Amino acid sequence: MSYVLSLLIALPVFAAPLVYALTKVNKKLGIYASLGLSAFVLLIAGYVFWQVYAAPPAPGQYLFQEKDSWVSISSFGLDYFLGTDGLSSPLLFVSALLTVLVIFGSRKLIDHHEAEYYSLIFLFEGAIMGVFTSLNLILFYIFWEVVLIPMFFFIGVWGGPRRKYAALKFIIFTFTGSTIMLFGFLYFYMGMPTPSFDIPTIQAMLLSHQIPAALEYVPLAASFIGFAVKLPLVPFHTWLPDAHVEAPSPISVLLAGVLLKMGGYGFLRISIGLFPGASVQYAWVFLILGLFSMFYGAVAAVLQKDLKKMIAFTSINHMGFVLFGAYATLISGNVLGIQGAIFQMFTHALAIGSLFMLTGYIQHQAGTREIPLLKGLGTSMPRTAAILVLASAAAMGLPPFSSFLAEFLVIAAGISASAITAISILVPVITAGYFLWMIKRTVLSSPEPGHEAHDMGWSDVAAFAVYLIPLVILIVTSYVILNPALPVAEFLKGLT
Amino acid sequence: MIDYLTTTVVLLAGTALLLPLLQLTKGRNPNLAGYILALVLAAALLFIGLFTLNPTSVPWAASLLIPDQLGGIFALVTVGITLAVTVASFDFEKSTSNPVYYSLLGFTALGMVLLAYSQDLLMLFVSWELMSLPTYVLAGFDKKLRSNEASVKYAIIGAMSSAVILYAISLAYGLTGSTSIAAVVSGFTSHPSALAGVATLLFVAGFGFKMSIVPFHMWIPDAYEGAPTTISTLLAAATKKAGFIAAIRVLLAITTVYAVTRSPVFSMANVFAVLAVITMTVGNVSALTQKSMTRLLAYSSIAQAGYILIGFVAYSNAPGSAAATLGLTGSIFHVINHAVMKGAAFLAAAAVLLVLKRADLRAYDGLGKRMPITAFTLTVAFLGLAGVPPLSGFWSKLLLVLSVANGPYAWLALAAILNSAFSLGYYAWLIKRMYIDEPESTEKVKEPFWFVVVFAVLVGLIIGIGLFPQAVINFASSAASTFVG
Repeated sequence: MSYVLSLLIALPVFAAPLVYALTKVNKKLGIYASLGLSAFVLLIAGYVFWQVYAAPPAPGQYLFQEKDSWVSISSFGLDYFLGTDGLSSPLLFVSALLTVLVIFGSRKLIDHHEAEYYSLIFLFEGAIMGVFTSLNLILFYIFWEVVLIPMFFFIGVWGGPRRKYAALKFIIFTFTGSTIMLFGFLYFYMGMPTPSFDIPTIQAMLLSHQIPAALEYVPLAASFIGFAVKLPLVPFHTWLPDAHVEAPSPISVLLAGVLLKMGGYGFLRISIGLFPGASVQYAWVFLILGLFSMFYGAVAAVLQKDLKKMIAFTSINHMGFVLFGAYATLISGNVLGIQGAIFQMFTHALAIGSLFMLTGYIQHQAGTREIPLLKGLGTSMPRTAAILVLASAAAMGLPPFSSFLAEFLVIAAGISASAITAISILVPVITAGYFLWMIKRTVLSSPEPGHEAHDMGWSDVAAFAVYLIPLVILIVTSYVILNPALPVAEFLKGLT
Repeated sequence: MIDYLTTTVVLLAGTALLLPLLQLTKGRNPNLAGYILALVLAAALLFIGLFTLNPTSVPWAASLLIPDQLGGIFALVTVGITLAVTVASFDFEKSTSNPVYYSLLGFTALGMVLLAYSQDLLMLFVSWELMSLPTYVLAGFDKKLRSNEASVKYAIIGAMSSAVILYAISLAYGLTGSTSIAAVVSGFTSHPSALAGVATLLFVAGFGFKMSIVPFHMWIPDAYEGAPTTISTLLAAATKKAGFIAAIRVLLAITTVYAVTRSPVFSMANVFAVLAVITMTVGNVSALTQKSMTRLLAYSSIAQAGYILIGFVAYSNAPGSAAATLGLTGSIFHVINHAVMKGAAFLAAAAVLLVLKRADLRAYDGLGKRMPITAFTLTVAFLGLAGVPPLSGFWSKLLLVLSVANGPYAWLALAAILNSAFSLGYYAWLIKRMYIDEPESTEKVKEPFWFVVVFAVLVGLIIGIGLFPQAVINFASSAASTFVG
């Protein structure tokens, strides 16, 4: 048995108190230690990602499995069960990468309670690694909930003027959603002929038709609420703009880049992976909800004046693609949908992550995030402006950024489900429209006279290159994600 | 050879009787009585632990006390909480330093131990009174108007509940000719009658007062608020649990009043399910609107009683089934966890009251800066009470909800889950106040030493049981399965 995945969870968890102590002693030391430790976690995550690419596990199989009994009494058993496949390994990698970048980006933007901040980042990272590697439903739920607590404090302590409201709204929305999801799991467990919480065991029972078909509906509905709040899907999304606007920019990166992926991951791994019969039956409902979210996010983003809020709605728009692609595969049998959904989660994390981090810099340097007030960035902050243009291109899905490929795959799968869904092509068009309009107003306008602004340093430019360069490389090497995603897609398709 | 239970009883009774004599001495350490009682309670804890590992029948009361694990768990929990309260009182009751205070605590502990093991209705009633009477005095120990009012209110309601229980016992004796719980239960089952149904419901009401089941809960917030907060801890975390052991021993064995009323609506499972959902909802909704910490904790304590009842529903619905064992295990486990979590929360409130002289919620703004250890204890206790993993409260709630998750009471499981989510509304709101809101004054205050000691132990338990629940679940599960038979 390998302990790589346990290490991936334990290392950040144990790093948290260490970083706390070091930062209390000396802030610089704490930040360097945080960077070093998170880079080490990234190295391990990179190793896992590479191994999954090098030898993708067969459909329904998982790499780096670890299994140990945790709680067991006569009528109730629960395993500590970890594993990874082509669905979770890209998410592990991108989460670890964003953590490093977020720590790097925070050093100027976070100026109080640093010790608490950096240790909570590690707690968050450990819990996220747990969410993406758990193969036991209760273990999954535990990590899922632990993620909320650091996020609550991130928004509440380091957030903007309405941070208290946003933090409470965030935790109440997401906790309610996830407890309902837990109810679904428990209902499912008690209804099984031989109860189990282990995902592979349940999937084996599904394949041998041991689970009554009627059992799937309640847990599907319950888990839908949990994942829809996280994704977020319109109309469960109202916590997201508030949370994003109030959260400090580095935390918005984690929120959009990592936390929302939990919803997409949950839909693929659990809603489809464990309740396939019911999922197929209602696939059209989910498809339309995804489509609606895409349009809603895009149209709402047009109307925003706050740059950050605009990006938040772009997130809703992009995460709609994930749901849309996943269920398009269920309807059409075209595996491109699920492959595209996984790819979309990866590219969205980097593209939106860079944009959110950028808003932090812009606000820090220019003193505002209001699009109408930001004028002449092209002349006053040329480096920032250049990166804003590139990151926007990545978010629009403009080649050579691989976000283009992700959206292309999803829309293609949608069309093979039904030609009517071709209207989804309008979504990238609207997205490109409002991003270009934003660029016209901020970058290409002439600056206010007498307005001084400092451009970002070259070290920050290098950090943004780390967000954007992988997106370019991936368009030629997309197989590192799409190949391992194929057995996952085929397995999920085969369950139905 | 004398068994460990006898030793415990003699030790506790002797200490409680002799402690008041300390008043005759002069120039003693003001906490001497407290130190003695703490040592005795620690010894009692050890002896009960040994007794539970190695149960032997008690020769002097073989037909009155049943030496089983179920009793062991409740005795350990209640004595443990009494110990925590005693240690915290070193700081809290310094001004009075009255040995009678500790003597009364000793009597209560003795009553709770005997109650835990009772298998005869008369023994149960006598222990019940031995447990309750000292707490009436303790609730009024502050000699303030507020405290005295709490004491009187509590005593009147307490006397009423005792009367109700006694009346139920007399009905049971009249119907079955015995006061042994086993005989009464088999009599009720083999010869159902309307009177047996009345007696059963009277038991529900009588025990319900102590368990803080809605609608028998009205006295709780006033008493908890007026009593010295250490004593509120005792009431919420220990004597309330005594109500549950009595209910498990007497009521769970009576699986159905259906035979009595000839109506399937009146099954015990339905009675418990309705009480559970009302109790948790009323508790949580009321807690949200409170302005003082002790009242808020009182209502949250009421809500938790509702969760514990879920296990009773699972048990009464299908006695002997896997879900019944699961539910009863969950109830017992949640009793343990709730005692620890509520003990921690109430003692933290006591520490705030002692240091800042305030109980209103404004005093908690920015507490994380002023009293970091107390604020952390409260945070862990709140998250545990809300059922956030991986803390101890999560596991017991998980078992409880699981036991009814699929079947005729799935609605109850959903109600419990939604209540948990709802309760996070006020818990998270308080955590926000402690860590995010600005304090009225940023002056850091010294946290009382003995409180910190107790906090360390209780927080350690909440997190420790949360990460490694197997041992305690095993204990609760084996106690439940001996009861299920």
